[in-house]
Amino acid sequence: MPSFLPAVVEQLFRDIQTTYQETAQIHNDLLIALKFVFGSCALQALDLVDQRSVTCLSSPSGRKAFQVLGGSGCVYTCFLSCHYCPCPAFTYTVLRRNDGLLCKHILAVYLSQAMAVTQQESVSDQQMSALLSSTAAP
Amino acid sequence: MSSRKRKRSSRDIKCVFFPDDVRHGLHKVGRETSSLSSLSSARSWERCGESFLDTPMTKTLQSSGRKLSAIKNLSLVQPRPFHCEKDLVHIAWSSSDSEQSDSEMQLQSRVVPQQLIHKPRPTASSQSYTRALLMLSTSKEDLPDIDTDSDLDVSEVEAEKDSGQQISDCESESPDEKPEEQPHESENMKELEISGYVSDGEDTVISSRLNTESPPLQTGEGSKRSVGDWLKSAQAMLQTPQKPNDTPSRTPEDSAKKKKKFQRGGLAERLNRLQCRQRSAVSFWKHQYNSDTSAATTATVDRPGVLVLEVLEVTEECSMQLALCEHHLPPRDGHQHSKAVSEDTARMLVLFNRQTAAQLMPAPRDIIHIYPPWQSLSIEGLSCPVILNTHFSQKVCSAANTSIPGCRFAPKKCMPYYLGKIFGLLEASRTTEMNKQVTPSDSLCSFGGSGVLREHCDSLLEAIEALGQAGSVDQDVEVIVQRVYAVPIGHCSPASIIKPRVPLRSSAALPPAEKGKTRLCVLVQDSYGMFSVVQLHPLPCKDDLHQYCQMWQGKTCVLRNIKVVQRVTRERRSRLFSLIDSLWPPAMPLKEHGSSLSMPSTSRASGPAPSFCYLLSGQQSSVEATKEQAVSPLYCHPLKRTLRDILQGEGGKICRCSFDATVLYKRMQSPDVGHGEVWMVLTDPSLQEEECSERPCRRTVALCVNTSCVLTSSVLEALSSPAACRMSFRDAISENDFLLCAEQSVIEPEGSLKSTTRPESVLQPQSSILLHPVRLDPLSVETTPNSLCALTGVIVGVDENTAYTWPACNHCGSGNLDMSAERTQSFHCVSCKSAVIKPDTKVQLEVFLSCSSLKDCTVKVKLQKKTIMSILNSTALESDEFPGYDVENVLGKEVGPIAVYVQVVTRKPALWISLEEICL
Repeated sequence: MPSFLPAVVEQLFRDIQTTYQETAQIHNDLLIALKFVFGSCALQALDLVDQRSVTCLSSPSGRKAFQVLGGSGCVYTCFLSCHYCPCPAFTYTVLRRNDGLLCKHILAVYLSQAMAVTQQESVSDQQMSALLSSTAAP
Repeated sequence: MSSRKRKRSSRDIKCVFFPDDVRHGLHKVGRETSSLSSLSSARSWERCGESFLDTPMTKTLQSSGRKLSAIKNLSLVQPRPFHCEKDLVHIAWSSSDSEQSDSEMQLQSRVVPQQLIHKPRPTASSQSYTRALLMLSTSKEDLPDIDTDSDLDVSEVEAEKDSGQQISDCESESPDEKPEEQPHESENMKELEISGYVSDGEDTVISSRLNTESPPLQTGEGSKRSVGDWLKSAQAMLQTPQKPNDTPSRTPEDSAKKKKKFQRGGLAERLNRLQCRQRSAVSFWKHQYNSDTSAATTATVDRPGVLVLEVLEVTEECSMQLALCEHHLPPRDGHQHSKAVSEDTARMLVLFNRQTAAQLMPAPRDIIHIYPPWQSLSIEGLSCPVILNTHFSQKVCSAANTSIPGCRFAPKKCMPYYLGKIFGLLEASRTTEMNKQVTPSDSLCSFGGSGVLREHCDSLLEAIEALGQAGSVDQDVEVIVQRVYAVPIGHCSPASIIKPRVPLRSSAALPPAEKGKTRLCVLVQDSYGMFSVVQLHPLPCKDDLHQYCQMWQGKTCVLRNIKVVQRVTRERRSRLFSLIDSLWPPAMPLKEHGSSLSMPSTSRASGPAPSFCYLLSGQQSSVEATKEQAVSPLYCHPLKRTLRDILQGEGGKICRCSFDATVLYKRMQSPDVGHGEVWMVLTDPSLQEEECSERPCRRTVALCVNTSCVLTSSVLEALSSPAACRMSFRDAISENDFLLCAEQSVIEPEGSLKSTTRPESVLQPQSSILLHPVRLDPLSVETTPNSLCALTGVIVGVDENTAYTWPACNHCGSGNLDMSAERTQSFHCVSCKSAVIKPDTKVQLEVFLSCSSLKDCTVKVKLQKKTIMSILNSTALESDEFPGYDVENVLGKEVGPIAVYVQVVTRKPALWISLEEICL
C-alpha cells in the first residue's frame, strides 16, 4: 500500500483552510481529527498558532522561510521547500524513528498558513542567507 | 517489571555523570552536547522526582495540585490562591521546560534549574517542593475539589501498570535499539538523550499522563479495567492514600505542564476541552466493552453507525496503523458474520492511532467494529474514504484465533514519506490556487455528532468534564429528577459549601433574616446512572416544595446554566449516599458512555452504586421539565413500607425508607416549632396488629427530625395540634432501630405525597385507621428514651420537692399571673392581658413506682392532673383552697395503666428511668 498519511494530512489542512476562510472558525470535528492524526503535537501546535508564533520572513530576492517562536523563547527556522525543523523532536520523532509526520513547529506553520495568521516580516538578503546558513550550526 | 528495573538502572548510570556532562556541554563544543546538557538536567530532575517518591509528599503535591486546578474553575466560589499557584508555576518552569523541543536555547534559560541541581541537589528542590506542599496543604482543607477529570486517577493506575515504559518507552519499543543503550560511549549517550526528548510523538503522552494540557486521548486504551477499579482509583485519589512507593517517578515536568494555560478562547484551549471529554468517553467505553466483550458484540451490532469491517491489509505509518478494510453493511437479522454480504461491501481505509492499534492488533481477516463517533475523511483523488477518530474500536472476530498463539501479525512498515514533498499551503501562491479547487469542506464528516461535541448532552459526567469558565456547565444536560426536597439555607450557604465539614450547628449563627429560609434542592440522575444534587433558589414559601415535587419529581428535566460546586464522595456524605443507594440499582438499564447513539443494552447488569457525585448549583430556571409529561422509567418512586417491615429490616445498616405513620406524640426541643430537633413517636397499623408472634414487636418507634429537614407549614400546623395526625415520611433514615429525618427527607401530611406519581398498586392494602386505644409497649429494661410506654405500678415514694400546685390563667393556661391589687382572689394574666377571676389550679406530682415487670429499677414518673386527682381521691382542686396531703395517703396506691413518655434512661450505676405521663 502506498503511504496515505500525507494525503490525509493534506486534506485536513485544506479543510481547515476552507472552513477558516468561510467561517473564521475551525470546527471541533477538525480539531479532533487533527488531534487524532498528530497526537499531542496538535495541541502544542494550536497553542503556538494561538500565540501567533509563526512568522514568514521574506527577502527582496524572493526567498522565504518560516520562523516559529517556541514556548521557551527559542526561534526555529523552517523551510518552505521541504519539511525540516532544527528542533530535537523533529530529529528524533520524524527523522530517526519515523513516528510522526511533523513536529509541532512545522504543524504550527501549516495551521498558521491555513488560517492566514502568519506574521509577515521582510529581511534583507544578507540576513536571509545568514539565517538559512546558520540553521545548520546554530 | 524486569524491563522497568533495567530502565531504572540504565537511567541510574546515565545520571551518575550528569553534572560533568553539563560542564562538558558548556565548555566543549557542539550542538549535540548542548542538547545533552539540558537533557541530563531534565533527567536529573527525573531523579529528583524519584527520590521524592519515597516520601508521601509527591502524592500530596499531585492531588492538591489537581485541586488547585479544579479551583481555578471555581473562581466564583473562591478567590484563587495566587501565591500557591505562582509557586507551583515557578517550580514547574524551573523543573523543566515543557517545550522539550526548544531545548537548544534552554541552556540559558535553565540557569536556575542547573544551579539547583548542582549544589544541594535533592534538598534544594525538595525544599521548594515542601514549601509548595505546605502552602498547598494548608489551603487544601478548605478547597472544594471538583476534580473534573477522574481520568487522572485512571492515568495513575495506568502509570503503575506500564511503569517501566513511562519515560523511556520509545527506547524500549524497537528491540534493535536496545543494545545501543549501554551508556559506555559518548556516541550512545547522545542517542539516549535524544530518546528522552521524544517530545512530539505519542511517547510524551505516556510520560506526561498527568497533564491537563495535553490529556492523552489514549488514556485507558491500553489497559483493561472495570468500573469498580475506576471508581476505586477515583476514591483513592480523593483520599490521597498511602500508596506503595514503587510507582514510577513522575518528573516535575508533569506538574509543569499541568499548570500551563492556553490562551483564553484559543484553539488549543478548545481542543484541550474536547480532549477531556473524549478521554472520559473513551475510558468509559473501554470499561464497558472490556467488561463484557461477548455480550456487546451481539447487542450492539445493530446500532446505527457501527462500522463492521473486515481487515484486508495493514500497514504501519508514522506510528499509526492504516488498515484497508472491507465494509460489511450490518445485516438486519443480526448475524453479522454471514458470508452473503459481499454485495454490500465497500472498501475504506481506517486509521488507528498507536494506542488503539496496540490494543486492537488488527490483522488481515479480522472483523473489527468501529462504534460512533468516528469521522470519515474523503480525500481528493482517493476513491475510498479514510476513517479517523477510531477510538471506539473492537475486534470481534480474530483471524489469529486459528493460527498459532504468540505468532503476532506484524504490520508492514511504510517507508518514511519524502520530506521534500510539502503539503501545499506553505506558499501563498499555491493556496490561492487551492481555493478554487477545493469544494466547501464536506470532505470530513463525523458520524455520531463526534459524540463529545453536542451542546445538548445527556451525561452529567461529560457535561461536567467539559467545564467552561468559572466552573459553569455550558451544556444543557438531560436528567431525571429523582427527588425534590428542601434544605435550610444554612446548610448550603457558600460557607458550608467551601467547608463541607462545617458542623451543622452553624446554622444557629445565621443572621436572623436567613433563619427559617429554605432552599430547593433536586437529586438528579442521568441516563448513564450518574447522580448530582442541584441546589436551586431559595423557596419564598416552604409550602412551595410540594408544588415543585409535583412538577419535577420523576420527570425528565433539562438542567441549564448550572455550576459545579463540589465533588462529594460516599465517605464524606454518607447520608446523601444512603439516599442514592436507595435508588440503586436503577429501575431500567443504563446507557453506557462512549456509545451515544446506542439504545441501552439489556444484557448488562448495573454495577455498584456510584461512589461520588457532584453538587451543582443553579437558579430557578435551571431545571425545566421537558414536554414529555410521563414519568421517566428510570425514576425510582419512594416505595412505602410498613414500620414493622422497616424495623425488622436491615439491622445496623443505614438505609432510607418511606412510610406513612401516625404521630402519637411529639416533643419539640425549642418552643419555636421548626427550629431545633423534633422528636416524634410514631406507630402504624402494622405495629398495632394483634399478634406479635416471633419477637416482642415494638408498638411504637421514635423518630427524630433534625434541623436539616425542613418542615412545611402544613406539617407544623398538624404537629402543633394536640391530636394524633397521619404523616407521610419520604426518605427517612433508618439507623439502628431508630428513625431520623434529616437532609433529603421530606415530611408531608398524609395524602399530599400521593399525587407525586406513585403507582396505585403501592398503596397499602390495610386501612390506615388505627385501633383505639393505641397499644404501647410495656415499660421494660430495653426501653429507650423518647419512646412511649404503658406503665402500671405501685407508688413507693413521692418527690416532695417537686410536688406543688399553682394557679394558672383559665384563658391561656399561662402561669404568669400577677396578683390584682384590688381583690385578693383575683389575678391579672401577663400573657393574655386579661383579668383572671377564677384561675385554674395546676398541680405537679412526681412519684416513684415499683413495677412488677422491672426489678431493681427506679422509676420516676411525672403524673398528669387527672391521674393525680384519682390518686388523691379528690375533686377539691377546683375549690379555692387546695388542701395539703400526707405522703402516706399516696403510698401504696396503684397507678395505671397510663401512657408515659420516656425522658431519661440511666443504666449506670443502676437502672433509673424518668417518665412523664402523657395523654394520647
